[in-house]
Amino acid sequence: MVVRILNRLEEVLIAALMAAATIIIFLAIIQRYATGVPALYAYARTWDFTWAQELCIYMFVWMAKFGAAYGVRTGIHVGVDVFINMLGVEQRRKVILFGLLCGALFTGVVGSLGAYLVWHIGGIGQVSQDLEVPMWIVYLCVPLGSYLMCFRFLQVAWAYAKTGELPAHDHAAVKGLEAESKAATIPT
Amino acid sequence: MTVSGAIQASEPNPQRGRTISQLLIAVPILLVALCFAGKYGIVDLGPAARGTLIFALLFALMVTGMPVSIALGLSVLTFLFTLTQVPIEAVALKLFTGIENFEIMAIPFFILAGNFLTHGGVARRMITFATAMVGHWYGGLALAGVVACALFAAVSGSSPATVVAIGSILMPAMVRHGFPNRFGAGVITTSGSLGILIPPSIPMVIYAVATNSSVGKLFIAGIVPGLMLATLLGLTTWRIARKNDYPRLPKASWSARFKAFLDAFWGLLLIVIVIGGIYGGIFTPTEAAAMSAVYAFVIAVFVYRDLSLREVPGVLLASANLSAMLLYIITNAVLFSFLMTHENIPQALANWLTGQGLGWVGFLLIVNLLLLLAGNVMEPSSIIVIMAPILFPVAMKLGIDPIHFGILITVNMEVGLCHPPVGLNLYVASGIAKMGITELTIAVWPWLLTMLCFLVVVTYVPQISLWLPKLLGMM
Repeated sequence: MVVRILNRLEEVLIAALMAAATIIIFLAIIQRYATGVPALYAYARTWDFTWAQELCIYMFVWMAKFGAAYGVRTGIHVGVDVFINMLGVEQRRKVILFGLLCGALFTGVVGSLGAYLVWHIGGIGQVSQDLEVPMWIVYLCVPLGSYLMCFRFLQVAWAYAKTGELPAHDHAAVKGLEAESKAATIPT
Repeated sequence: MTVSGAIQASEPNPQRGRTISQLLIAVPILLVALCFAGKYGIVDLGPAARGTLIFALLFALMVTGMPVSIALGLSVLTFLFTLTQVPIEAVALKLFTGIENFEIMAIPFFILAGNFLTHGGVARRMITFATAMVGHWYGGLALAGVVACALFAAVSGSSPATVVAIGSILMPAMVRHGFPNRFGAGVITTSGSLGILIPPSIPMVIYAVATNSSVGKLFIAGIVPGLMLATLLGLTTWRIARKNDYPRLPKASWSARFKAFLDAFWGLLLIVIVIGGIYGGIFTPTEAAAMSAVYAFVIAVFVYRDLSLREVPGVLLASANLSAMLLYIITNAVLFSFLMTHENIPQALANWLTGQGLGWVGFLLIVNLLLLLAGNVMEPSSIIVIMAPILFPVAMKLGIDPIHFGILITVNMEVGLCHPPVGLNLYVASGIAKMGITELTIAVWPWLLTMLCFLVVVTYVPQISLWLPKLLGMM
């Protein structure tokens, strides 16, 4: 149950960050050009979008950290699988488990380093350039995202050890091809 | 965690490859042990040994099939911790600051734009338009396939998705018209890769970020080679079709052509917005990407009505997923290239290569062979992000233009997507054409050969890539 809520939260967070960043940059461009139009100048100049770029970067870094964790769950992180595909099922399982545990190890270590960083910066009281948010809040995505990713690696490894199934991402998914048979587009 | 997407049939012997699997696990552990031995002064590692050790560790970790990003990160972490004085906390900071760059943010925006338009409806419009324009020539539908692939791939930004979208509509139609299955599969597999050369292109953004080059110049530079390659693939198709007298379609009327054009126009305008916006100085590349994402949303939901508003969150999530994966590789690759610079490897490599009397001709040959080899086992983004920072300083030292270098790497990546034994397009196409990889390898041969010849030409004739940006006064 807790895991289900966590899954949902993760999905909503990264999709929302994606949408929000797009809208913010779009509005910032509109604002920049609106100030160039005399009739709109009076309105447009009152909006302040100097922070847009910084916010967009932070949003995407957050999206990247949590999205990477989500990516472990969907199996999107690609590796070199030519060699392990030559192995028998049992042997392949060992090597893949080794890889997954290495993933958990790396993200676990990075998460701890990130936590140390946040702690350290929290003490200094540094703030960001445009938004003036405390930097420790901004950097919080490194430990949170990495620990979540570590958890996902362990989760996937556990499920794989038990059932032998790995999440696999379809890199070639295209929607809207079902109606293919009635394609009247090509003259026959 | 697959690049090739190879489907494993029922395994006759589950214990096959016991020795190999033990080696795959033992070698990285031994190399890590060696690093620790160096830390405590048990073995003395010279500069050359250190350099070799980094690459050996990275390679050993990568062949176990773990994500490329994790392999990169782990080798850097181990090396920094054991063999350098760099404070290890710096790694965590680099993981944030490594992608704290507005240029990189073009990648998620372009992915979002592409995902809105990666839809069967858009593919069908492109095919109709292409068929109306070139269907009456020799090779008819196949020729239209080349054009449709080029257009769709440029808009969607994904080569495998192009093969699926165009292939699953066009390949059955071609068979119905009496083309051999092999012919259709060959055309679509190779043409599907055209997208990464025609802007907007994500591998180009990655190259630009990795080498600090201009995204705008790269995009403009990609246009001429992209059109040339599309023409060459079309010519190959036309020649084979004429020789075998494959069916042609009746010539479409101008009114039908115009109607098809109008239908495809909204999708194609995306390319114009990106190129025109960047060239005209209206947007920075990242802003152009954000604009194209908003534009693609409007077109997909309100103009084409392929997507309902309810499907939008799904598109956002899928785009975030793919973007995060790429950004994660980039972050770890930034760490890796930080380590490279710290160990002075690109400089040492450049000095050594020039010391060998290797000119730019020989260097580019080696680069191409190396990248084609890497293309066997990795996908384009990972290759560029790892190799570009290492090779770029050497190229600069030999006086190669950064934009030309980027274009030749991109063309090389296109070839890598289609060549056996492991090309992503090849695997995807084999699924749609219901054709084995071996048979498909024979099927793609004429087009692959064309691409390889074109790669040689692009490599040694910089004017092809640099002509347009120079003409437009960009460089």
